[in-house]
Amino acid sequence: MSESDVARASAGGPPPALAARGITKRFPGGVVANEHVDLEVLPGEVHALLGENGAGKSTLSNCFTGLYRPDEGTILVDGEPVAFHSPRDAIEAGIGMVHQHFRLVESFTVAENIALGEHGPVRRRADAARVRELGERYGLGVDPNARIWQLSVGQQQRVEIIKALSREARILILDEPTAVLTPHEAEALFEVLRRMTAEGRSVIFISHKLDEVRAVADRVTVLRDGRSEGTRPLAGAESRELARLMVGRDVSLTAEAPTRATAPTDEVVLALRGVRATGEHGQESLAGIDLEVRAHEVVGVCGVSGNGQRELAEVVAGMRPPTSGTVEIAGTRLAKADPRAAQRAGLAHVPEDRMHTGLSPSLPIEDNLALTAHRRPPLSTGPFLRRRRIRERAVALMADYDVRAPGPTTPTRVLSGGNVQKVLLAREFSSDPKVLVAASPTRGLDVGAIEAVRSLLVDAAERGVGVLLLSEDLDEILSLSDRIAVIYEGSILAVVDRADADVEELGLLMGGDRSHLADGAA
Amino acid sequence: MGLRLERRVDRPRWLTVAVPLASVAVALFVGGVVIALSGNDAVDTYARILERGFTSRGAFTATLTAATPLLFTGLAAAAAFRMGVFNIGGEGQLIVGAIGASGAAIALGDSASGPVLIVAMVVAGAAAGAAWAGIAAVLRAYLGTNEIITTLMLNYLAINLATYLVFGSTSAWRELTGTGLMFPQGKKIPDAARWPGIDFGNFTVGLGFFLGTAIAIGLFVLFRATRYGFSVRVIGDEPRAARYAGMRTRRTILSLLALSGAVAGIGGASDVGGTRYLLDPKALGQAGYGYAGIVVAALARLNPLAVVGVSILMGGLANAGRALQGPDFPAGLVGTLQGLLLVCTLAGELFARYRVRRTAPTPATPGAAA
Amino acid sequence: MIALATVLAQAGDGASSALPVASNGSGVNSNLLIVIFASAIFYGTPLLLAALGEMLTERSGVLNLGLEGTMLMGAVAGCWASIHGTGPGWLVVIEALLAAMVVGGLTAALHAVLVLTFRVEQIVSGLAITILAGAAGLSSYLANSLELSKGPVPHRLEAIDVGGLSDLPVAGPLLFDHNALTYASWVLVGALWWYLFRSRRGLHLRAVGESPATADAMGISVARTRYAHTIAGGALAGLGGAFYPLAIIPLWSDGITGGRGWIALALVIFGFWRPELILVGAYLFGAFSSLGLTLQARNVEVSAQLLDSLPYLMTIVVLVFVSSGWARRRLGAPAALGTSYEREER
Repeated sequence: MSESDVARASAGGPPPALAARGITKRFPGGVVANEHVDLEVLPGEVHALLGENGAGKSTLSNCFTGLYRPDEGTILVDGEPVAFHSPRDAIEAGIGMVHQHFRLVESFTVAENIALGEHGPVRRRADAARVRELGERYGLGVDPNARIWQLSVGQQQRVEIIKALSREARILILDEPTAVLTPHEAEALFEVLRRMTAEGRSVIFISHKLDEVRAVADRVTVLRDGRSEGTRPLAGAESRELARLMVGRDVSLTAEAPTRATAPTDEVVLALRGVRATGEHGQESLAGIDLEVRAHEVVGVCGVSGNGQRELAEVVAGMRPPTSGTVEIAGTRLAKADPRAAQRAGLAHVPEDRMHTGLSPSLPIEDNLALTAHRRPPLSTGPFLRRRRIRERAVALMADYDVRAPGPTTPTRVLSGGNVQKVLLAREFSSDPKVLVAASPTRGLDVGAIEAVRSLLVDAAERGVGVLLLSEDLDEILSLSDRIAVIYEGSILAVVDRADADVEELGLLMGGDRSHLADGAA
Repeated sequence: MGLRLERRVDRPRWLTVAVPLASVAVALFVGGVVIALSGNDAVDTYARILERGFTSRGAFTATLTAATPLLFTGLAAAAAFRMGVFNIGGEGQLIVGAIGASGAAIALGDSASGPVLIVAMVVAGAAAGAAWAGIAAVLRAYLGTNEIITTLMLNYLAINLATYLVFGSTSAWRELTGTGLMFPQGKKIPDAARWPGIDFGNFTVGLGFFLGTAIAIGLFVLFRATRYGFSVRVIGDEPRAARYAGMRTRRTILSLLALSGAVAGIGGASDVGGTRYLLDPKALGQAGYGYAGIVVAALARLNPLAVVGVSILMGGLANAGRALQGPDFPAGLVGTLQGLLLVCTLAGELFARYRVRRTAPTPATPGAAA
Repeated sequence: MIALATVLAQAGDGASSALPVASNGSGVNSNLLIVIFASAIFYGTPLLLAALGEMLTERSGVLNLGLEGTMLMGAVAGCWASIHGTGPGWLVVIEALLAAMVVGGLTAALHAVLVLTFRVEQIVSGLAITILAGAAGLSSYLANSLELSKGPVPHRLEAIDVGGLSDLPVAGPLLFDHNALTYASWVLVGALWWYLFRSRRGLHLRAVGESPATADAMGISVARTRYAHTIAGGALAGLGGAFYPLAIIPLWSDGITGGRGWIALALVIFGFWRPELILVGAYLFGAFSSLGLTLQARNVEVSAQLLDSLPYLMTIVVLVFVSSGWARRRLGAPAALGTSYEREER
């Protein structure tokens, strides 16, 4: 099928700007990230790579940019086979990439970042002029002398695009570019991409979001489990069909709310009043948060990444001292930032950075499952640990939560993302909490694990836990929450019941646009 | 073409034996080349080290004596390194331990009985070592000052302090009668304060070595089976996870560094009570016990029980070095061999952690050559 | 290098005092402050060279705690070459400096191999290098095998009176009465500043030290950059080490650098990874190193041990200050310092 696609596409006209033939890439441990993937990107098109997390999209693009070398297969640029031995080769072949995690030197200026990797003497004035000129041409205005850490995420993304354009990239690969953008910023990005394709450049747009692929792309190739599910023009392709290809089974496109047997009670288990806090660079990141979570309730906090979600979770968990305001967990007011006091009061916390904050990666699973519970009987007696009980408890929890691992002594860092999250949830739930703070609990997990984690969150609420769910995934928020709070620049702009929630409106609020709230909808 | 490294998911048991053995073999080979290059017979040199370090008459007793300070500094380094706190100050902590212990013994004088004197020396040595390490610990815990450089600077300050007490002043540590009037030297501790040894027929084991072994067992239990040891492991592996779990990172750094300093300080007490019977700044400065202790700890992979065995090996090497020193066995050879063992063991770890794969040649594609 | 050679040509190989501060000056130039400043520059030079080397290494993201051992290896090489070199005196001195650079570079190369190829933790590897090469290790073994301590170092770095200006009041002893290596170190400070902040390679070097993943994506080889600057840093440290037998202590003794490698390490932090600030710091520590000798020469009664302790005490005080929150926010430790970089697989 894909063979004939290829044949048709290359029958007449110019050769594809970039093509992959039978690309296979394996990783240690027998993981096959790409298996005989074919792809053709025509000059002047936006070509979407659609697939779930772990479908092999990033691996494929890293093969295009010379970061990985494929184990099998050929890459062709303008119909000529190429072998990239380093990122430099790919850059010289006209391939540019905007990574999901930006590849920028934070302490450098914009112009210095643009100048990286080039040859000859440094011409600082010329570099700055180039930034301005490209910015004007594509609508990517950014101050060439600003340092990267001073820029917003959206501006940093512009720098990445300018960087690629200044190397005369004819093929630009964007990896999940909208994940960090507001809907408005995303629209501006699409406009930039249209200007680029109008000049005959090609864009590979990597995404797992159907609607935005529809908004920007000309053709789409679906990847699933490292294999290509074929390429088709978006005009005429049905969303349901694409979703089926992506997931491998029929899915409903509307987020379905799991049925709940219990309803929120009046008992407030988590209360934040006027909480202010500063972020890593000393900037104010929480600007007076008032929020309540009740027993049996899931409160979802949605917002574009970097608007204070992390600080909010840390303040509640006692890991970051509020500069003013109070946090109360199940009626206990936290006197100072102390994670242990928060835990004693009944808090469980699934942090955003699971592997390095939630867990101690080199320690065996059994020790990570014992973390915090190791302080009390039955896992310890006085200063001494009860090693056998730690082992028994670990074995039981691993069975209950379906943690797939060779054994309880396996170092936690070798586990897959889904199993890591299960270890973390198993531990946090086993402390019998009253409040659970979960930050991006399903990010980066595969479909099966996402479902497992979501049902665990719902179970917790059923048992009476108040859940504070922080997520950038609006669908997840919509499907799980009883109430939804929108956070923007450290403030809660609105709290709405799920029944009243309107996606459009939430999107506008996430971008800081509260004009339509003038009537006092909040 | 080329080689590629793959992280091992699990480590086969045979590797944990084979890799260190191979590392030692490589170190001995490279050491042999170094010896040969300086015009000596490598095999003969190794044979003599073995003989003078272990097999000849009285060698093992001397080896255990040489091993004792390394046992203490090795344990001190292992304890701190386990938490990722790089206490390079075993040297200085041992020296102030010696100052404290000799001071205690001299102060109590002939009035006290042997056991009282010995206990006082151990306590004073431990306290002095803990206090000395405590300086770096407080700076690290409260001001974030890098402990590597502060503990190191404290080594130089400790040796200067000891030198001052014996050579630069008329302190209680200095012998002010007899030959001491002409040549500055340390004051002898009372005879009753000398640490006893137990005779096993062929060799004698000093009290210091027993004490060190007991501390090794204690540390093993501490790290393996207590809540404190659990915290140390988490803080050492991932400080963010420790903070998340509400562990008292600052308190643990303070206590562990103090513990580490105390162990090294007892090493100083053992040196005074079991070997020299006085404060000898010159000998302590040249011995480099602290640095050798880091080698011991690293070779023992920070396992306190393994430190006991490795310290005997290193002690044998040091003992043989001292006995053999001469034109065909230059000073520095023992240190070089220790360094080579360390470097080769560290490099060898790669093969235990990673699998080396030969990468398949880039698939020959029709147009690739063009 | 040619300029260096002609300057050295005038050096000769006389056996006059190694100290440039011998009290032969008169009037204002024998003023205690002037003497202390001048000797601060003299004693600060090896610290400056070693710290500049370490700065280069750390700018690439590699921490080399083996600096002390590297300096000692350079010292052995320099000492040996001074005894066994051939040619006129000035040439032998150049040979000695080159030998020190080569051996210092090789010692650092071992560190580079361990941390970059064998992925040993940087702190542990650096300590291993210092134990291997240090005062009780290879440097001592080599010095004893090669019998370096049999007699004084024959060809040494001598103070060069540039254009007869050394008698100028104040400026003379401070600026015009030093040996060639000290003059070269001044040039080096400027050159390294330009390299770091104005050249393309310097830009790439800083990028590797700040964000290796970014540098890698931009086609800059992280491993090559780190290897090159670790080795270059070791060469400079070797040069600094050779300054001891060739200029300060003209007879070999084990551990001749006396722990100055560690002070040089602290200096890099003190100098916020900037050559010009490292120069200031090196001379400050040089002043502390020389204070004892200077005061003794003037018959001022101070405890030798106390004076000897000053540089170490000073290092601790400075480190405490530099690691305070206030300074930390303003100083720019390379963000990736001490971390290894592997292209993430998966």
